[in-house]
Amino acid sequence: MKKILIIEDDQSLCTELSTLLENSGYNPIILKDFQNVKEEIKKNLPDLILLDINIPYTNGELLLQEIRKEWNMPIIMVTSRNNELDEVLSISYGADDYITKPYNPTILLLRIGAIFKRIEKTSIIEKYKELNINMQKGIISKGNQEITLTKNEMIIFNYLLTHQNKIVTRDELMTDLWNNNEYINDNALTVNISRLRSKLRDIGYKDMIETRKGQGYILT
Amino acid sequence: MKLKEYLKDQLSFIITFILNIMIILLMLTTFKVEKNLIIAIIFILLISNLYYLFFNYFRKKGFYQELLNNIELLDKSYLVLETLQKPSFYEGKLLHQALYDINKSMNEYVKNLEIQVNDFKEYIEMWIHEVKVPLASLTLMLHNNKKEEKNLNEQLRRIEDYLEQVLYYVRSENAEKDYLIKETKLEKIMNSIALKNKDDLLENKIDLIVKNIDYQVLTDSKWLEFMMNQIINNSIKYRKKETNSYIKISAIEKEKKVVLTIEDNGIGIPQSDINRVFEKSFTGQNGRKKSKSTGMGLFIANNLCHKLGHKIMIESVENHYTKVSIIFVKNKYYDVTK
Repeated sequence: MKKILIIEDDQSLCTELSTLLENSGYNPIILKDFQNVKEEIKKNLPDLILLDINIPYTNGELLLQEIRKEWNMPIIMVTSRNNELDEVLSISYGADDYITKPYNPTILLLRIGAIFKRIEKTSIIEKYKELNINMQKGIISKGNQEITLTKNEMIIFNYLLTHQNKIVTRDELMTDLWNNNEYINDNALTVNISRLRSKLRDIGYKDMIETRKGQGYILT
Repeated sequence: MKLKEYLKDQLSFIITFILNIMIILLMLTTFKVEKNLIIAIIFILLISNLYYLFFNYFRKKGFYQELLNNIELLDKSYLVLETLQKPSFYEGKLLHQALYDINKSMNEYVKNLEIQVNDFKEYIEMWIHEVKVPLASLTLMLHNNKKEEKNLNEQLRRIEDYLEQVLYYVRSENAEKDYLIKETKLEKIMNSIALKNKDDLLENKIDLIVKNIDYQVLTDSKWLEFMMNQIINNSIKYRKKETNSYIKISAIEKEKKVVLTIEDNGIGIPQSDINRVFEKSFTGQNGRKKSKSTGMGLFIANNLCHKLGHKIMIESVENHYTKVSIIFVKNKYYDVTK
């Protein structure tokens, strides 16, 4: 499980953030001692850090520079300061991403997921059951059978794939699609899912995407 | 300073002078003084007094004329004192000193006000950032509890929008310090606006049609995001209930300009109101139909546009469409430094 360190001084925000991360399969750690941040990092060695700019004793941007001197785990700046200058500074000091509060939780998770994916450089071809999935080309193959997915279908399938064993809501799928510049409406999502289903049926997976009434979808 | 007015002002002196001459004339003739001597005395008196009168006139004229002229020339007439030479005559010196003192006290007063306003603005900005923290907690709480969250989320989003409006209003008034212009992808800005308004758009069944916006423009991305968000919020607010609504966003490049267009098929703006939509607090007929209108959105957007050197234009036919264009000029100097 990936360890994520939360550096944020607002207590209730910390708790909610850690619940969110926990529900999504991460291992969140909340920083308690703001005077010895580096000690805490050394002790825990997190895989990723969520760092606020307004923190006690120091300032997020300074801390970011300090951390960068010793470690290079990914850091996402999470802040309520909504201006270009802070963003440019943060990125130039070595932050991997910059998100302003209040943020959409799904998007925060997508950004975290994207960073991990980038680091692990997962091979383009993933496997699920007997399927070989080529993200880049949008091709799913089983033996010598092959289906081609459209961009939207691939985004949906990929999201279901990365959230196996979990019910995925329509809203999550929608957010991921919109996040990828595909601004489709509700009907189009339904159409895309049923097309994806019928394509999967063609290669022998009739009920791969199961509907959970009132909740969403799950990959079986 | 007019000679006529000056002489009128000096009337008492002139009358006394004439009376003097007449009395002296009378006395001299009574004492039977030589005629030539009388003429000489009167002549000397006349010359010396006239000399005094005109010398005084020209001395004052130099100072006052310069004062009046410079007041007219300067667009900030309160700076006039800095442009004047110190007068040589007593009255002028008094006036100069008085003006200097008045100016100084006014400066102090204005300075105090400026400090107060800036303090207040700083406080407001800080306060907005503080409020966003509990807002973020609330958003996460709703998400974690997975209850009927749509309505609650919408209300949170409204609070956030109003907060942004205040923030950018404060920033647009003393913008010099906190913007940063750089090459920005329109697509990226569009993406974050779309995600922000996703729930509103889907809930109200408004199709978002985005095409050909693969351009880079010189702007401050946060400000542009705010402006576009205001425009899109208006499109959502003033949609037509009965038809399939859409918002079309596209861009074209022509003559070294990039024009970004946001078009909707909403209720439009009446012809009588369209020239006033960028005015502060103007709500118009549409605003009165919707109680939530503040009349600030487009005003701030327009202000920010000016500061960034973009142009914003609006075009509409009532009951048909509203089309807002933002024009980005390509900067040659920037290309040179690249």
